[in-house]
Parts: sequence; C-alpha cells; structure tokens
Amino acid sequence: MRSDRTYGPAARILSRVALLAAVVLPSVLSATPAAAETRGYVISWFATAVNTRDFATDCPLAAKDNKTAADALGPARKDTAMVDGKPVPTSSYPAAVQKDPDIETIKGKFAYGFDLGGPAKNKFVDPDTGGKVDNQLWRAIGCHSNFARRPPPEMPYSEALGWNAMLDSAPGWVMQISGADLSHDGPVTVTLDRALRHVERDARGGVRNNVTYIIDPATRSHNELSGEIKRGVLNITSGVIFMVADLPFYTQVDLANAHIRMNSDNDGSLEGYWGGHADWHAWMYLYTARPAASDPVGFYWALRKLADADPDPATGQNRRISTTWRMQAVPAFLANVDGKVLATASSEPLGSPSQAAAALP
Amino acid sequence: MKFIGRKTLYSLIIGASAIAYTAIPSLGASEPAATDPPFPTSQRLSPSQYKQTIADIFGESIKVSGRFEPEQRDRGLLAVGARTTNVTDSGFQAYDEIAREVTAQVVDLKHRSAIIGCTPKSDNRRDDSCARAFFTRVGPLLYRRPLTRDEIGNAVQAAGLGADKLKDFYAGVRLSLEGMLISPEFLLRFKKMEPDPANPGQERINAYSKAAALSYFLWNSTPDQDLLEAAKNGSLNNRAGLELQVNRLLASPRAADGVRAFFADFLGFSEFEHVSKEAAFFPNYTATIKQQAQEQTLRTISDHVVNQHGDYRDLFTTPNTFLTLDLASLYGVPLVDTTDNGQPQRWIKYTYPQGDARSGILSQASFTSLWSPSGRTSPTSRGKALRELLLCQIVPAPPGNVEFKFVEDTTNPKLKTTRDRITAHRSEAMCAGCHKLTDPQGLALENFDSSGQLRSKENGVAIDASGEFDGVKFSGTYEFLQAVRNHKQVTTCVAQRAFEYETGYTPPRNDPRWTKVQESFAASKYDVLELLRQIALSDLSYSSPSKTTTASR
Repeated sequence: MRSDRTYGPAARILSRVALLAAVVLPSVLSATPAAAETRGYVISWFATAVNTRDFATDCPLAAKDNKTAADALGPARKDTAMVDGKPVPTSSYPAAVQKDPDIETIKGKFAYGFDLGGPAKNKFVDPDTGGKVDNQLWRAIGCHSNFARRPPPEMPYSEALGWNAMLDSAPGWVMQISGADLSHDGPVTVTLDRALRHVERDARGGVRNNVTYIIDPATRSHNELSGEIKRGVLNITSGVIFMVADLPFYTQVDLANAHIRMNSDNDGSLEGYWGGHADWHAWMYLYTARPAASDPVGFYWALRKLADADPDPATGQNRRISTTWRMQAVPAFLANVDGKVLATASSEPLGSPSQAAAALP
Repeated sequence: MKFIGRKTLYSLIIGASAIAYTAIPSLGASEPAATDPPFPTSQRLSPSQYKQTIADIFGESIKVSGRFEPEQRDRGLLAVGARTTNVTDSGFQAYDEIAREVTAQVVDLKHRSAIIGCTPKSDNRRDDSCARAFFTRVGPLLYRRPLTRDEIGNAVQAAGLGADKLKDFYAGVRLSLEGMLISPEFLLRFKKMEPDPANPGQERINAYSKAAALSYFLWNSTPDQDLLEAAKNGSLNNRAGLELQVNRLLASPRAADGVRAFFADFLGFSEFEHVSKEAAFFPNYTATIKQQAQEQTLRTISDHVVNQHGDYRDLFTTPNTFLTLDLASLYGVPLVDTTDNGQPQRWIKYTYPQGDARSGILSQASFTSLWSPSGRTSPTSRGKALRELLLCQIVPAPPGNVEFKFVEDTTNPKLKTTRDRITAHRSEAMCAGCHKLTDPQGLALENFDSSGQLRSKENGVAIDASGEFDGVKFSGTYEFLQAVRNHKQVTTCVAQRAFEYETGYTPPRNDPRWTKVQESFAASKYDVLELLRQIALSDLSYSSPSKTTTASR
C-alpha cells in the first residue's frame, strides 16, 4: 500500500531544522512579541485512544465466540518462524513468520483522531466531533483483548500497568500554552518538553496539580507548535512531535503530521487527543518486547498492511501509520533550570467560559 | 535451647530486672537524700522524647519503631497530661515491644562494638567486667541520674544470667538493657525534692531532677554529660551554675529541638492523627501533606525563633516560610526544586509578597486543615482553636441538642458560602452567644479551604473575609492576621503555656517571679528563647505546686 504522504529522513531533518529555526530565530531577531500569558501543564494520562462501544460491530468474528476470537487474535494460532532455515521465536521475528495470520481488524465506523489526509476508504468517524479520522493503528489492533471492550477513557491493560509502574520515576512531559489572552479564543503557541522530575501523585493516585516542574534543558524533546484556541478547545493541525519517554510501552513519541485537540475543563485541566503518523516499527518493538500482552505476529502483519504514510522509496512499504493517543494534563508551574518561572498553573479553563461550554459535545 | 525456653527465660529475666530496677530506692552514692513529695510529680516521656533520648544515647542509627500509648491532652498541653496519665497494661506491652526492637539493634553486629564499648572475653559467656563498664556508662543517661551500686550490680547480674542461659554475652546485655528501658525510672521523669540547706524546713528540687527538667524543656531529650556533671557537683543549685547551663543549652543548635517540641504541643499537632480529607474534594491533601504541614510550621517557627531571634508576634504575619513541591502545589505557588529525579523533595525557603494572605502560621495548613472537617471548612472550629490554643481562652462546648442543619448543608442554593450558612445557624438564639466568640476569626480564614488550599470563591461566590476581632476591624485575611499579631493575649498566652509545659502548673498571676518572666519576655521584644531562658532560671519553675496556683480549666 502506498501513500502520497512523504516523511522520509530528509523530510524529517528538514522539519527538525524548521523547528529549530522556529525556536531560535524569534529569540534572536526579537521579531515576535512575548506572549502576554503562558500557562503550564503536566501530562497526567497518556494511552492509545481506545474506543470499543459495540464489539460485535467492530469485531464480528471475535464477537461470535471465544474460540473464534482465539483463532482470529492469536492465542490459539500455531505460528512458526524460520531464519536461515532454523526455527526462531515468532514474537522476536514476526517478519519471519511464513504466513500472514490475517488477524481480524476493526470493521466499525468510529475511532478517535484526526483527518490526516489519508484515503477516503480508511476513514473513521470521530465519536466526539463527527469529523473524519485516519487511525489505521486502531484498525489494526483494536480487536485484540488488550485494547478491545474498553470504553474510553480506560487505558489498555498493558499500558495501564506500565503507566502506573513508571509514573513515580519517569520524568514527566510538560506543556506550555502561550497567547495574548488565554481566557479568550485566539492563536497560541504550544511548547512541549520533558521535565527533569517525575510527576507527583495526589490522594486519589492521580497526578497532582499546581506542582512546579523544571524543564529539561536538553532540546531533544523540545517541540514548539502553532495552534489556536477555538470555542475553548486547543487545536493544532500540523507539526512534528518528538519526545523521549521512560515508559515501558513508549520509549518515545514520534509523530509526523501531528495534530492536537484538547478540551479544557472547569478546573483548568485539559483532556483530548494527540494524533499523527507514527513509526509502526517502533511501535511494534515496544509490543513485541512484551509478547504476553499482545499478538506480535498478528500485529506485525496488520500494521504492515494498514500503514498509511511515509513510503520507503525503495520498497514502497509505508513506514508510518496513522494513530491517536488520548491525553490528559493538569495545571503545573514550569520553570527553567535557572529558576525562572516560565508558565503559571491556572485553574481557569482556556477560552471564555461560554466558549468552553459551547464546545462540549 | 528451644524457642519456648528462650522466650520464657526472656520474660523471666526482663520481669525480674524491671521489678528490681523499680524497687530499688533511687539514691545514688553521691546523690543527696531525696523525698517523695505528696503530689504527682512524675511525667511520662513523650514519644518524641523517647525517640530523641534513644538517639542521643545509642546513636541516630538506632530506630525506634512501634506505636506508643496515646497521649492525653490536659489544659491544652500533652506535657501537662503526661503528668497525670498512667501506663496501662497495653501501653506497657507497647513499651516492651519497642524496647525489644531497640535492644536488638544495640547488640546487633552492626552496632555492638561501638555502643557496648568493650569486647567480652568470649561472645558465648558472661563477662561481668565488660557488662559493668557498659551499664555504668549508659545507666545514668537512661535514668538521668547516677545508678546505685545495687542497680549496677543488678544490671550486671541480669546480663550475666542471660548470657549463661543463652550462651551469648550480647543476648544477656540485651535482656538486661531491655529491663532498664521498661523501668519507670526510664519511662517516667520524677521530680524529686530534697531539704533545702539554705532554707531550713523547706524543700528544693533535687539537682538531677532539675537537670532532667532543663534538658527535656530546652532540648527535648535526656541530660548530657555536662548537665549531669553540673547536677553532681551541685552547681545547678546555685544561680550562676544554673545560668551557665541554661545559656549553654540555649546556645546549642539543639535548642531548636526543644522549641519544636514545645510548639508542636502548643499548637495541638497531635490532633493530626484524626485528620482526613475527602480525596474527591481535596485530592492534593495526602498523608505526606499532613506531615509536611506540621513540618512547615515547625521550620517556620524554629527559623524565626531560634535562628532570627524574631518577635514571637511576627509569627502571625511573617512572609517567610519553608515549602516542598507538594506544599507549594497546595498553596498554589511555584517552587523551583532542582533536586535530581527520584530524590526526596527538599525544604526550600520561600517568601510571600508582603501582605499576602498566606503569611504567618495561621494561614498554613497546619492550622487551617487541622481545624476543619473532612469535607468543608468550619470557621467555628478554627475560631475556637485560635482562642483556646493561642489566646489561652476558654470557649464553652456546644449544647447537646445543637442543630447543624444549616452548616452541614453545603448544597443549599440560598446559602452558598460558609458565611451565609453560619450566619443562618447563628440566628438561633441558643447558638449566637458562643459563635460571636469564634466565628469572626474563623470567617477571616475562609480563603483557605478544608485542605488549606487558597481559594477566592466558594460555590462561585466571592469570599468575604472581613470582620471584627475583639474590637479591631479588618477588611481581609492579612489585616486579620495583623490583628492577631497585635492582640495582647498572644504573648501572655505563649508565656503561660511555656511555663505549664515545663512545670505542669499554671503560673501564679500575682507572683513577682512570674511578673519578672513576663517583663523580661517583653523587654526582649518577645524573643521566645529569652522566655524559655527566664522560665528555666526562675525559682518558680522549681517550686512545689502547692506554692503555685494549680491550673484551672
């Protein structure tokens, strides 16, 4: 399957250069006036954006009975893989499996995400916005028990385990939103960074708000995106996001054609979605490293077939796949390593209250 | 030897040694004859005093774990309650368990050579010489006086018996030491009186009792060797010698321990044991915050009082405090902590802008959250606590048939704020009188929710923190804090409580010695260390309670 969307290495380098220029030039030239207001947030929840409301419609084969589901989704299959004529573990060498198991993929209509410009035949409908959605990763993995039958906003089981295990040690991700007046709609600049410290928990086991985080001065996870607040919703429709993570299931977030849509709650917290085109090999590595939580062979072949962006110039095989993550963020103070406070924690929603209320589904 | 045999032997030796220690008259060879006064003059060690004492004698690495018997608050202070409470059976059992844990560490391979101080001829049998050296050195620190020859002999004998039976020198020492740790001579501080040679027919406090009183008052721990020596050579009985020791104790950084212990008691921090908050409403209020809230206030006080020699009254308005990341998040302020990931949060000095509502110790969560129910604020509780704790006033208890329907219904659309609800409650005549005493100052702190978090609105309505406090009008929280600062009873109350903390008795108001203490406190611009110094030096502190006025409720 080929796609017109190209994100080869050269394009990626160019986009990083452009990003660097976007970060450095304004400060050098002082051409852009400083934002009147900057609010800070720390990511408090992050997982694949699952959406199973009608399993029978989404996955009719698996819904028939448990045996069918087992056949279709891996546990009962007898895959074999050979390398140089020798049998090897299928989970470590899914590409060496001699036959595509052709696992069942999502047949339903709904999935969370964004219109990333993919072909019409791939489109889902977003349950919240009613908009068109490219989310081939969800199509590939959504029938597996790790992801299916979990109404949003639940985390996939394996991701929940990893998230809760690492929350108290993995450096957090932080987000700044800058604009002239964040209590009203308008253009904003969104900056994503990694913090130097892990997030702090609250009395419910969630993430505590109003904590001050120091932004990691290393620029590898620094991202700056342009967007707007419209009817109280933060929207970003193009950009590149690259962030290093210390989570077992995500060692990095690497999104081309990145989109963000986050609603603002009355307590100032944000919830919504990040989407774009992710490297499906990287995604596969994370899941094949833990075969018990997934179907590495089935996923490999499904992702390979359904990948919808960034074709390899030599083979034509798409290297990226449309995907969506559900995110939540709570207000946080953000400072640089020199102690300068860059963003304040606000309990006020983005946009005016009436605008935010109007944006609710 | 089988386990049951060991256990039985253990109990027999411990019981025998504890009884022996208790039954032996506490007359040291160099100690003047003392008499037991006809009034209760013992004081149980508080948990913090027990822990600090163990740390001072055996080292910081000896951990005291286990739950102590609950303390009793009397006349506003646990230190007063500690003079009237007994040790119950279960409390004694708890002390025994704690003692077993402590002694096990003292003789373990990691600590034995450093703490015992001598090496037995054989690990497998008794060595009375080594045991005697150990108990001769440690005994006076534990009992806060020299041990008699018989007491040392009993300790050595118990250790030897244990070593013989268990074929382990250190097990024997452990058993004997455990007996000392559950002895009343260790668990209770006794105020022994003796004939006063300067005033025939009258009594004075025994020098070792005075040394212990001074040490626990100013350091919250057992007397050190210098203080015991001053008791031994009699210098504590004269003014110059007493002054020398008091000044030495107060000049030490360890005076901060004494100040912290007093204020933790004075501010009622033991009540935190009963505090919980609805996580659904106050997710930032964690068990850690409960601990940090107390520590914040104690650090604020310790820095102001010990390091800065600041005016006590300024504690109610000072912009200076110490915060952690979690506390800063509760108060809604940024705090830059560059501690490496994975390391514990640090305490960082923080200064609010002048005039900030979060100034002073009353705006801290150690007060606002401590005196609030789990799901809402209670201006009445806060106001009552302020009057009783900080002004030494008495607020009558509510009648049994009081109706709480207005204050507890936080969903009434017509009564959106706590002020609205409490005003409706006060409209009932039976409630109005007492609420006039408590509510104005409680309402002045309504900008702090039940968890201590700053808020400007309640149910969408702006909070009105104005009012009048004992004739002083204020427009908001900071002006109220200034009114508290300037209230004449804040200084007289802390002085009274400090004296009661040290002696267990209310100071006699018209006694010139008490007047002198207060005048010196005022002359020092309300330097709390000077207050403690004057109390420690005053004859009044060492008089028998029959010559003072017994505290009244």
